Amino acid sequence: MPFSFIEIEEEKSRIIAFVFLSVIVFYFLTVYLILILAESFFIFHPADELRKGLFILPSLDHTLATFIIALIAGVFHWLISTNNLIEKMSLAVGALPFDPKDTYHQSFKNIVDEVSVAIGGRPIEAMVISSTGLNAFSLEDFDHRAIIGVTEGLLARLNRAQIEAVVAHEAGHIVSGDCLSTTVTCSLAEIYEEFLCKLNVGLRGSENRGSVFLFLLFIILSLINFLSRILRYFISRQREYRADAISVRLTRNPLSLAEALKLISRNWRGCGASGEKMESIFIVNPRFDSLDDEEGFIPDIFSTHPPIRRRVGILLDMAHLDEKTLEENLKHFQRVSPVAKPEYKTEDSINKTKKWFIFKEQWLGPYLLEDLKKLQGLRPDNWIRIEGEEQVIPAYEDEELRQGLFGQDAEKKDELCCPHCKTILDEINYEGVPLFKCSYCEGIFVEEYKVSRVFVREDMPFSEDIVRLAEKLIASKDEWRLNDSAAKSSWVIPCPKCKKLMHRQFFVYSYPVEIDRCFFCSGIWFDKQELEILQYFYQYKEKFFDGKGF
Amino acid sequence: MIFLLIPLVIAVAIIAWFFTVYNSFINLKVRIENAWSQIDVQLKRRHDLIPNLVEAVKGYMAYEKDTLERVIKARSQAIDASSLKDKAQAENFLTQTLRSLFAVVERYPDLKANQNVLGLQEELTSTENKIAFARQYYNDEVRLFNTQIQVVPSNIVAGLSGFTKKEFFEILDVAEKEPPKVQL
Repeated sequence: MPFSFIEIEEEKSRIIAFVFLSVIVFYFLTVYLILILAESFFIFHPADELRKGLFILPSLDHTLATFIIALIAGVFHWLISTNNLIEKMSLAVGALPFDPKDTYHQSFKNIVDEVSVAIGGRPIEAMVISSTGLNAFSLEDFDHRAIIGVTEGLLARLNRAQIEAVVAHEAGHIVSGDCLSTTVTCSLAEIYEEFLCKLNVGLRGSENRGSVFLFLLFIILSLINFLSRILRYFISRQREYRADAISVRLTRNPLSLAEALKLISRNWRGCGASGEKMESIFIVNPRFDSLDDEEGFIPDIFSTHPPIRRRVGILLDMAHLDEKTLEENLKHFQRVSPVAKPEYKTEDSINKTKKWFIFKEQWLGPYLLEDLKKLQGLRPDNWIRIEGEEQVIPAYEDEELRQGLFGQDAEKKDELCCPHCKTILDEINYEGVPLFKCSYCEGIFVEEYKVSRVFVREDMPFSEDIVRLAEKLIASKDEWRLNDSAAKSSWVIPCPKCKKLMHRQFFVYSYPVEIDRCFFCSGIWFDKQELEILQYFYQYKEKFFDGKGF
Repeated sequence: MIFLLIPLVIAVAIIAWFFTVYNSFINLKVRIENAWSQIDVQLKRRHDLIPNLVEAVKGYMAYEKDTLERVIKARSQAIDASSLKDKAQAENFLTQTLRSLFAVVERYPDLKANQNVLGLQEELTSTENKIAFARQYYNDEVRLFNTQIQVVPSNIVAGLSGFTKKEFFEILDVAEKEPPKVQL
């Protein structure tokens, strides 16, 4: 039956108030019973009254006097046991104030401050138990001092929203005064137990006349002790439900609390040695053999905390989620750390770095980019193969090499790029003529009208290589291809300027030099040395041709 | 004698009940005023934290100048705002600029690894949460107060003493109600 958190809070408050009153009534009832026994066995009565029966009812003034004494005794006992409560209990649990230099503790203190704002600005101190288990507790003093403590394990394993839900649960205990009234019931119960202890001792040496009385007293007190224990456990369970509801009211986040409870219940929840009375202040029972997780007759009566399953069930109802999805989500749960993490290069990331094989008369490699940079002489039109792939491609087609090695991203539209190497052409002056040259394959792109300027100017001397090549070309009329040019192939290449395909033809039919001509923008692409050879032919035509020039 | 005693007892009981309810109203009213001032305290704390964050982040984010400038401008606007409506609007605007600043910080791995910046981010997130919690507490108290005023036995007391309904802290800016658009 899905309840909203407001309804749960109000319902549990009524139940707790009722049962709490019953505990107090119980106390006075016990006192009355003891009084009856005392009247019957110890106090002097005239003989005629004794004949009425075994038990004599006490008179009104006896009763009143005894009640007042019992009240004073109760209050006194309570005051003494709650003196320095926080110091005593936090010592027993092993909690220390938070460390302001620790990043996780700083985050925890911020969370506690946020929740204290949410409950109206009441200051709460933050404490941490140095245990690797997961648990949380809260305590309140009669000097209006309140503390909330968590374990180190909880700080490290839960994310911010979940820690906030847990802290809000503990703040719920503080807000509804659970810590104060727990001490009342505990101290009342202690009176019985102390009495019983003394009785035990007394019965051992039972030479007393009043041993029947003591024996009856023992039985009655044990019974009442048992019953009050059951009542106390009942109250404690209702209080946990109510604190869960208050946590949702404060954070409006039932899902985080459900996740936190599930995670806490899965892990070790211990936090050092703690006595029996300490269990109720924790969010989940810290004992190893706790009855929290079981349901059934015995746990229903004797456990201090409600079964986790039922608590999570109520919360999931509010969140409109089912348990299976919660389990699924928790499997993929990963918390975000408040500590900055440096990025380490793991084995994987090194292996994933790209490597290439290059072909220079034979296949070499594989090389990393840094190695290729040191290895000079890799041209954009060399063949490469990426490690892990089958295909052999020219180097200029690989993005990383283009950017890392050849230094340019040759996809820019407004720059002229070499059609073979795909790198940006350098603008140089040859013979004073501005033209575009590729630094790798030494190809030249020039507009047609500028070519005649090159031919007529004679400033640059021709290298021996050019002379030799020119003569070889004329000599070997069949082999009019420049054999050692890697760029001389039967590919049809695009014009660097207008990107349309160029035509391969002789520059003029007189001279055996092939060039690529673009018919759309009238640009000419000369491969390596072709322009120089043509220029040489032009300038020394008398040497080659029988006076017939062009 | 008893015939005089019973109405007297009843009258005393009614007067006692009246006083109790009246006092509870006063209590709630003062708590609501306290909650309102709590919101102001958290807002001021946020104003004080922002210059530190901007200083720490400025060196790394040279290209995000306009985001930083928007944060600074929003902060000075929020400090200068005087009327309640202006204040609420300015604070909402500041929240939006901070959100976009944090989204930008995510893109810089250098910044994410800087413990200083992370600490400041944690403080600012915590302050934002506190503002939200302070508003929530204020609204919860107003809810209790308004309920008590209208519920049958206590509304007599409220009517006689002149307690009126209080307003919830609602978002005044219509644009804030739209979900934030993520620009990738």
